[in-house]
This record gives sequence, C-alpha cells and structure tokens, in this order.
Amino acid sequence: MSENVYLPQLARIVHIKDEVPGARAIKTFRVEFMNGGGFDHEPGQCAMISVFGKGESMISIASAPTITDYKQFSIMRSGRVTTAIHDMKVGDVIGVRGPYGNKFPVSDWKGRNLVFIGGGCGLAPIWPVIQTAVANRMDFDKITVFYGGRTSRDIMYAAELEKLRGQADVHLSIDSPEEGWEGYCGFVPANVMDKPQRPDNAIAITCGPPIMIKFVISNLREMGFADEQIYTTIENKMKCGIGKCGRCNVGTDYVCVKGPVYSWAQLKSLPQEY
Amino acid sequence: MEAILKRNRLGQWITELQERAEIYAPDFVEDTWEFAKVGRGATVELNHSNTVRPAKRFVFPQREVLYRFRIENSQSPKLTDTEPKVESTVVFGVRPCDGRAMVRNDRVFTCGFSDPYYQARHDNVVFVGLACNAPPSQNCFCVSVGGSPHSEDGLDVLMTELDGRYHVKALTDKGSDIVRSAGDLFQDVKAADMDDVGNAHAIALEYSQRSISSMEAVAAALRRNFDSPIWDKLARACIGCGACTYLCPSCHCFDINDEVTNKSPLTGARVRTWDNCQFPDFTMHSSGHNPREDTGARLRQRICHKLLYFVETHNMQQCTGCGRCITHCPVGIDIVKIANVMEEGVWQ
Repeated sequence: MSENVYLPQLARIVHIKDEVPGARAIKTFRVEFMNGGGFDHEPGQCAMISVFGKGESMISIASAPTITDYKQFSIMRSGRVTTAIHDMKVGDVIGVRGPYGNKFPVSDWKGRNLVFIGGGCGLAPIWPVIQTAVANRMDFDKITVFYGGRTSRDIMYAAELEKLRGQADVHLSIDSPEEGWEGYCGFVPANVMDKPQRPDNAIAITCGPPIMIKFVISNLREMGFADEQIYTTIENKMKCGIGKCGRCNVGTDYVCVKGPVYSWAQLKSLPQEY
Repeated sequence: MEAILKRNRLGQWITELQERAEIYAPDFVEDTWEFAKVGRGATVELNHSNTVRPAKRFVFPQREVLYRFRIENSQSPKLTDTEPKVESTVVFGVRPCDGRAMVRNDRVFTCGFSDPYYQARHDNVVFVGLACNAPPSQNCFCVSVGGSPHSEDGLDVLMTELDGRYHVKALTDKGSDIVRSAGDLFQDVKAADMDDVGNAHAIALEYSQRSISSMEAVAAALRRNFDSPIWDKLARACIGCGACTYLCPSCHCFDINDEVTNKSPLTGARVRTWDNCQFPDFTMHSSGHNPREDTGARLRQRICHKLLYFVETHNMQQCTGCGRCITHCPVGIDIVKIANVMEEGVWQ
C-alpha cells in the first residue's frame, strides 16, 4: 500500500507563546517533527493538526517556508480541537499532516509593491508571505503592512511587527482609543483609507474576519486596485484536507485543494457561499 | 468474456466462490431489500428490484476505523491498525445505477490524493451487476442521466437474465477471474442467446421512465439560478433528515471523529463515518458562521453538486438515476421535479 494520506506525523510542542488573551485567545505553537518526519510547505499552505482523542482541525502554517527545523501555528481557541491544544503544554505531542492547499504566488510578484492588510487572527496565514518577502527584500519594491486588533491586547506578533519596521512600513490599529496607543484608532479598512495606497505595480494581500475583508476589498477597489491585484484567503470547515469529505466546497472548488488563496478576480467567479 | 449460466447453477457458482470470498446478494431482511451476506448453502434468487441501501458501502462503509491511538503515561502516542483490513468480497445483484455510481466514487476517492481505505476495498471487491429487465420502479430515471437498464459502467460482470439461464459478461480482470475460476459451470454463448440478450435489453429500454429532457439545460439553469429565491421554496418542506444522501449510491461526504474508549491511558480510534450536506453543522465553522445556513442553501448544494459541479469537474452527472432520494424522502422532495422546474424556469 502506498502512503496513507490520513495518517498524521507526530510532532512535539517545543514552545508556546501567548499572543492574545481572553475567551478567543490566540497562542503560537512551535512544533518539531519526531522520528525524522516533516515536510516542506509554501506560503499560504495549511496543515491538519491532530489532538488525539479530540480530532483534527485545519490550521494555516504561520512559519516561513525557509524554516525547516520546526513549524509554527498560531491558533485561536474556538472549537473542540483548538480548545484542547490551548490546554496542552510544552513537551506534549500532536499529529500533523499536510501540507494542504495552494500558495500565494510570491515569486510572480518580484519587483512589485506589496501591501499586506491583516486583522485579528488573520495575520497568521499571511505571515509566511511577509517573511518570504522580507527574506528576499531586494526582490520587492515597497512593503507595507497594515494590521489591527480590537484592543492593544489583541495585537498578535507585537514584537515581530516592531522588528519588521526596519524593512517595511507598519501601520497598526486598534478599534477604540487607549491611553498610550500611538497607532491608528479605528477599524482596519479605515486605517487603509487613511493612508491611501497607490495601485500602480502593487499587490494587496488581505486576511482577517470576513467583514473586514469585505470592506478592505471595497476600499482597495476605490483606490484603483484591479481584481487581479487583490489576494485573500478563505476558510471553511474541513475534515479531510484532500478534496473528498465534501464540505469545504465553494461551487466546484474544494477550498482545501484549490484554495485557500484566491485573487479577488478568481473569487468573484465563484458562488458567494463562504 | 461472455458465457451462459443455467439458472439452477447459480447456487453452485456462489458456493465455489465462497471458498475464496465473502458473498453478498440482495435479500429481503427485516422488511427491506438489503445486500446481505450469503450463508453456506443459502439460495440466492436475484429477484429483487433494488436494495434500499446502495452498494457503495462495500467500498465506502458507513463507519470505518482509520486507525487507533493510545497514549500511555504521557509518552508519545502510538498509532496502530493504520492499514485498512479488507476481505475479498463478491457482490451479486448490483443494479446498473449502482454500478455507474462506482465510476463517480472512483473519481472522488482515487483522483488527486488516493484514498487508501477506498482503494483497498475497491481492489478486493467484485461487483456482479444484474441488468434490469423488468419495468422500472416508479422513480427510476437512469436513461435521463446517461445510463441504461443494462449499463456496464463500474461493474466487473454484467448478468442478464434470460429464460432459465443468465448471460454472464465479464467486464474487468476481476470479473473474468470469477467466471473463469468456475469455468465448468458455464456454457458457451450461442447466437440464439445473443438474440435473447438483445431482445431483453431492447424491451427494457421501451418502458417509460421518469425523465429530464436536457441535462445540459438543467446545468445551465442551475448556474443561472444560484441566487434564486426558488431554492427556499423548493426546500420549504425539508426536515434535514439526510435520507437523500445516505441512500444515494454516489454521495461520498464523510466526517472524521475520534472515538475515545478509555481516558487513561487515552485509547481510542479515529473513525470515518458517512456525513450529510443536509445537516446544518456539516459546514458550520467553530465561530458559528455557516456558509450554508438554511435548508434552501443545503438543498441547492445537493442538487448543484449532482447536476452541475460534478459535471464541470468530471464531465458526468454525479447522479445515476436510481431514484432512492425521491422514494425515501419523507416530505416528497424530488430531484427530477427540481431539474425540470429549473430547466423550464416555471416559477419565474
């Protein structure tokens, strides 16, 4: 029998970082494959995480593709599996299978301006793209990162974003004013409107809550971005990750295989059912 | 490879095959026609119209352990029973609609990533079809979706009942093997036998079935009417029981869950079960967001998957016209009626 696609590889949690507190907390888990396992991934791809006894959940791979020693997953406490993994500690073992899905076509974007727009947990899926762009800084023109959380405590990757300032324009936002906050106050789409981006030679990459994505895309269109210049990801409930279990489809596309990365031009041709 | 088997030798063929495989055939069990295991010496009649549950369970069982896990004293999890365990199986009395459904199931489970559980079962099962000679059931519509009462697609053997005998046609290596292995039970096919086969098939095609006039027009109408309010109207009676898809020979959706049998040490199995696009939590995110949040959207998914999406992806309907979803729907939702309503646009 050939390789069993449903069988996860075992991976040990070697580091856990609290990103965001609260009921919908976000933690970043660094895992190392055991028994010489592992796989390569492209920016935008996902993996199926197993907590044995609880089940599996599809999570985007948040570490850069160039990092081969470990993989990172930034996971929001939300359902059965993600709650279980939030209760795990360093040394515990999870299952990982993948990588699944398509990728951001970063190599097609050489020489262009990149505008990243993230909100909430939506920084994780685009983080490997940002890492890839920064690692190959000379290949790209201007790099701009917009990111927002509800409050200053909801900003994930806060230290990493500060470090990014040397290589990219970073514009952070929180929804309402707070004492000591120096960034923008208001929603992410408004922050983008406040610092209009030129569409010439640019690619915009956005990920976050659906309502944020909707307004970001509308604002980008207003700034003159064409549908082909806007990229986003969609997420749907998944069980198999390989286009068979039948639930993540949007029209003919199984998001686990054809997605999760779509240009707005591609997404517009699919039924509005995501 | 074609041969003639006298009707009174069917039992002997099955007995010989029982030396090497489990044999299943339609039987009237607990008030319903089901594929049931044939006991030693039991009589197989092959006089059913169709089974309530389709033949898909032989390649895609309703519940299947993918593997077992065990975590002892916070050591690494041990994963065992990771390979599918399958027995050689021969299934008699598979109707051509269920055979054609296997072609669809093969597309889903073997294209792209190959599904090892499906593949192992597929490699070890022989589907012996039985052509439909009798008038169709009230909801049969195989001809409208490109099939026929004697379609060979997806089968390993097709049997056609003639007067006092069967014409047996092997269609694959697996099929030839089970015929050849009992070679002395069979007789050569004569010209008169072929005439009888031709007649039986021709008569079967003359019976009226329910019909959809143009599948192309239906697909175009489905594409056009994705956002139509008609879906809410069509689904108004739906109680979301999911009988339609559970009984469908080509519905393949599944769930994967962990069944824990012991907390300490943590012991359990990762299990695959049939799932159902008519259930609200099928697509519901953990956030509560649901891309298909009402029965209209879920009915639209079922119909579009069958008659539009699968056509666009695999160039064939994912419906073979068996009519089970119509016959067994408790509220009378009817895919043929929906296809015709779509095509004619009568609600507009």
